Amino acid sequence: MFEKSLYDLIRGLRSHKGNESEYIQGILKECRTEVRSQDMDVKATALLKLIYLEMFGHEMSWASFHVLEVMSSNKHLQKRVGYLGAAQTFRSDTEVLMLATNLLKKDLLSASIPTMSLPLITLPHVITSSLALSLLTDILPRLSHSQPVVRKKTVVTLYRLALVYPETLRVAWPKIKERLMDADENSSVTAAVVNVVCELGWRRPQDFLPLAPRLFELLIEEGNNWMLIKIIKLFATLTPLEPRLVKKLVRPLTNLIQTTEAMSLLYECINGIVQGGIFSATENAGEGDELAALCLGKLRGMIVVENDPNLKYVALLAFNKIVVSYPALVSAQQDVIMKCLDDPDISIRMQALELVSGMVSTDNIAPIVKRLMKQLRSSPINANELEDDGLDSTPIEPMADSDGENPAEILIEDQRTSEMPPIPNDYRREVIARILDMCGQDKYSNIPDFEWYLEILVELVRLLPPQIPSEADLSNSAVESVPGTSLAERVGFQLRDIAVRVKDLRPEACRAAESLILISNRSALYPPVGSGADPVLGFVSWMVGEYSEYLVSPQETLNALIHDSSAALSPQILCSYLQAIPKVFLRIAAKASDGWSLSERTAISLLLARVIEFEETLSTHPNLDVQERAVEYLELFRLVSEALSSLQSEDRAPLLLTSVIPELFTGLELNPVAAGAQKKILPPEELDLANSINPRLSSLLQLSRTEEDAEFDDEAFQAFYSEREAAPPVKAQNLKVSVPQVAEQLSYQAAEDPEISARRKAEKRERNRDDPFYIAQGNDESGRSSPIDILRGSNGKDLDLDAIPIVDLRLDETDIRAPGGQAAPSKQKRPKVKRRVEIAADENFDSEIPSSGNDSAPRSYEAGNAFPSGKPHRPRKNLLQVDSSGLHQLSLIDDANADRFDLQRREEEEAEMAAALKEVERMRLEMQRAAERVETAEGVDAEGTVVKRKKKRKPKGQTEDGQGGAAAEQPPEETAVAKKRKKKKKRSEVEAMRADS
Amino acid sequence: MINAVLVFNNSGQPRLTKFYTQLDTTTQQSLLSQIFTLVSARPASACNFLPLPPLLSQHSTPNPSSSSSSDYSDAPTQITYRHYATLYFILISTSTESPLALLDLVQVFVEALDRLFENVCELDLIFGFETLHAVLGEMVVGGVVVETGLERIVEGVRASEGGMKGKRRSVNEGGYGGPNGSGIGMGRSMGTGAGGAMRALGWAGGGGLGGWR
Repeated sequence: MFEKSLYDLIRGLRSHKGNESEYIQGILKECRTEVRSQDMDVKATALLKLIYLEMFGHEMSWASFHVLEVMSSNKHLQKRVGYLGAAQTFRSDTEVLMLATNLLKKDLLSASIPTMSLPLITLPHVITSSLALSLLTDILPRLSHSQPVVRKKTVVTLYRLALVYPETLRVAWPKIKERLMDADENSSVTAAVVNVVCELGWRRPQDFLPLAPRLFELLIEEGNNWMLIKIIKLFATLTPLEPRLVKKLVRPLTNLIQTTEAMSLLYECINGIVQGGIFSATENAGEGDELAALCLGKLRGMIVVENDPNLKYVALLAFNKIVVSYPALVSAQQDVIMKCLDDPDISIRMQALELVSGMVSTDNIAPIVKRLMKQLRSSPINANELEDDGLDSTPIEPMADSDGENPAEILIEDQRTSEMPPIPNDYRREVIARILDMCGQDKYSNIPDFEWYLEILVELVRLLPPQIPSEADLSNSAVESVPGTSLAERVGFQLRDIAVRVKDLRPEACRAAESLILISNRSALYPPVGSGADPVLGFVSWMVGEYSEYLVSPQETLNALIHDSSAALSPQILCSYLQAIPKVFLRIAAKASDGWSLSERTAISLLLARVIEFEETLSTHPNLDVQERAVEYLELFRLVSEALSSLQSEDRAPLLLTSVIPELFTGLELNPVAAGAQKKILPPEELDLANSINPRLSSLLQLSRTEEDAEFDDEAFQAFYSEREAAPPVKAQNLKVSVPQVAEQLSYQAAEDPEISARRKAEKRERNRDDPFYIAQGNDESGRSSPIDILRGSNGKDLDLDAIPIVDLRLDETDIRAPGGQAAPSKQKRPKVKRRVEIAADENFDSEIPSSGNDSAPRSYEAGNAFPSGKPHRPRKNLLQVDSSGLHQLSLIDDANADRFDLQRREEEEAEMAAALKEVERMRLEMQRAAERVETAEGVDAEGTVVKRKKKRKPKGQTEDGQGGAAAEQPPEETAVAKKRKKKKKRSEVEAMRADS
Repeated sequence: MINAVLVFNNSGQPRLTKFYTQLDTTTQQSLLSQIFTLVSARPASACNFLPLPPLLSQHSTPNPSSSSSSDYSDAPTQITYRHYATLYFILISTSTESPLALLDLVQVFVEALDRLFENVCELDLIFGFETLHAVLGEMVVGGVVVETGLERIVEGVRASEGGMKGKRRSVNEGGYGGPNGSGIGMGRSMGTGAGGAMRALGWAGGGGLGGWR
């Protein structure tokens, strides 16, 4: 049978255009049999084909054993295929790897450098901590191999070993350091060591300070640019720990910046200076300023002069790092940065955008926002974005030739063209989010002119891109008051926030809201496609309701609210609409009632009829929240409608409409309250919710029920309500007795002599006789209709009003700040400001006062809830991230004693374990021999021969390994394996314990 | 460190995938297609840095417990790419790598391939699958760059291939006849090819690479 090579596979693939996947399935089937072949050539070829197809997503974990087989081939090229297979396809759960230990050991000792390199470059892909443990002793000597090619690869392999098995560094670090310190070392090896040290460096910089002199030497020597870059990066992490380094570094770095031709090195020098905090750490300020000026000048040059997008991008990247600590320095380069905002390259724009939001201030916010708005305006919204987003596309199938491509084209880098791409919606979102961030920063402290900002907000509504589905899902479930769920909500939130916080701007804000709510403005103010801006309606409808006094045309607003199209809005928005409708309606009614006439009445009735109609349609809304509100208001409106129709006189609006219902919606003004304020109110100490207030409650209830049963009677019921009692229950003759009783019960103030109180009352009556606000007490007989009289009648004439206790409400314990009391925290504008406005801050309590236990209590509760304390929460690992957490614990500082002690201890442990293993082995052999004797007695000796052969083979394998066997000793190989097992067990125990805790 | 090296063509067909951390095949594929979606949408005028694709950005919450300089972390933060004729070369790396230096690294990679294949084109890489891996193996081990010198890379690959040379040759010359044969012929015959690949990088301003090699 003729087997296909990889070449044939690819050619076959190219000739099976159209049904590639079928062809591949066929190939895979062939490979499955071929890879099981006894012929190593066939096996290796099949494996190579499988590796090729794995690149296209055809899983081959099933073949991992065959990978091992090919790895053990004697031919280098076949071996290479095997190792490639291991590197490409072994995953953390590949178990056969444990079987490869001996093979790897053997290959590491190979005389041929290419063969030896194979395990070195493959190990980083497959290493596990147990494998690292058993291979460490074999890899370590490679560090002093005669060939630099081997040494440089070994250094990196050791680094990857250390990532999974940090103890590696304890033995390897001194040797790695030796390589670095050796001035005669091959430059490639030195560079590799520097790379590794740079990788290790940021994790534990303090351990690498002793290397500084040598690194400095290398920096001065100016060898390989790649290495210099890494050294500079390393120094950037060291300088914060050792300020003296700064002084040494300034000169060589300045020198490099001025002389180097390599942009990468120039850039990294500047970057290193910024990251290492060298600007500010230089001793004399003049030098620091000079350096800063030099760096910024070079960065500016990278943007302006070179006109290369890559340089622009990285320069902005560097600016972004500088702006965190020196916003003023960056602001000086504002002109070029602003230009980058309009760069055709989206990545550059994004960086510039981030940068400007870092350096924004009252002075430059207007031009920045203006520029961004212009960008948004100038390009149409991409409506079909959802299709563009097809990121989870179908799996890649190997194809025949890609159409229209010439794979034989020589690889020449593309020439840059300059074309203007359309604005993608991602970028649009980012821009809008940044505008909102910049302007909303510190409670709008950057806004020079709120009228301008309101205009911007209204315009932003029109520029909103369609919502992305996930965002829409989020906003449905999210609490409405949390800003940042969707852009439309954020715009709406800021509009509302300004209306609430900035009282002076309320009329303007309300008019903006009105313009957004009007149906006639929909096409002009809302995005032409999608319903991404709809959430804004929820916020603006609240505004037009709450601040309806500022509406230009309440009538129009109401029309928009009860428009037919409104019923189709989302439930959340509808709820807000339903609350706003009565408020606006009452505003109209109030205006109408001023000059009440027949025509007004008709107009109101008609309007009312339409409102009722709208509410009726919503009273069967599938969303319960909407339905409930609609039904409640519907009833209210029906009452109004009844009142209107049953109105007798034409000259006055019904009381219900003019005063009763408006009372429902007016009251204290709403102020912004800090999110956590509620939590800070202390419950009064005496508040005891566990105890019942009246211990006799159940018996009282019992009593009342029996009384009811006994007395309930239609006639009595009728009589109780219809007949007026002939006499008050408290009779005149009882007065003398009852008054003091009442006084005693009600008053917490000192009980007064009844006579004194009687005198006082007489005085009071006298005083209030002519006061229209007091009801005269004299005309007892006539005033029976007043409710007060009824009360008085039932409680006794001389009910002591003064005796009603007035509890002194002491709130100073919690120190509630009066609303508006601290409402002017001098977020004050600069002289530039057109109009002085006050921005109300969130109302809150002084944090010191309640923090005495109360504040910390919920926090500790939360902490207890979230994660077991003590163990820091580790965020989820990124896909491609290596886990280096083990390295954080390992110190590399030369502590020879500890090291030696540690090694000694380990040796002792090993010796102990070897002894134990020997014992176990001896026992096992004894038992086996005993079994053998029994079996030979029975004529079966299969087991015994196996044991014998096994024993013979071991020393042989060892000589092959080139280690030479000390026959008397236990084979070291076996101890290694056993030890490893034991270690593994230990580790798994530890892990289990960790998992438990 | 470098987290992954990817090479794919203009229609997203992978030519080389190398992940320096273990990742299951399906995730590899979706990452590949996400990056392809991002990179193929970029105009030639754009800079050579990509934003992180959704798969990589979703977990990239800054690690609050990381002690020392927060500028670094183990999570990949930058994607650098270069487009040569029909192929995209992608490097995914953490912030310990210099973005501009990575661009140079790709250039060295391509130059090494060009040296080994003579006027390298996509077809060479398809058929020279193993050599492609070998070249990368000489340059990057376990995500750390071990060699940037062109000569030494080429030397290392040649040493490891030994007798392979003839075999690879036969693959190319033996003939992919048919419509694309001319394409190879063109590649071979053009003297400018090597110059093209070796062309100094535009951004580096001529001799900008300076002391690199």
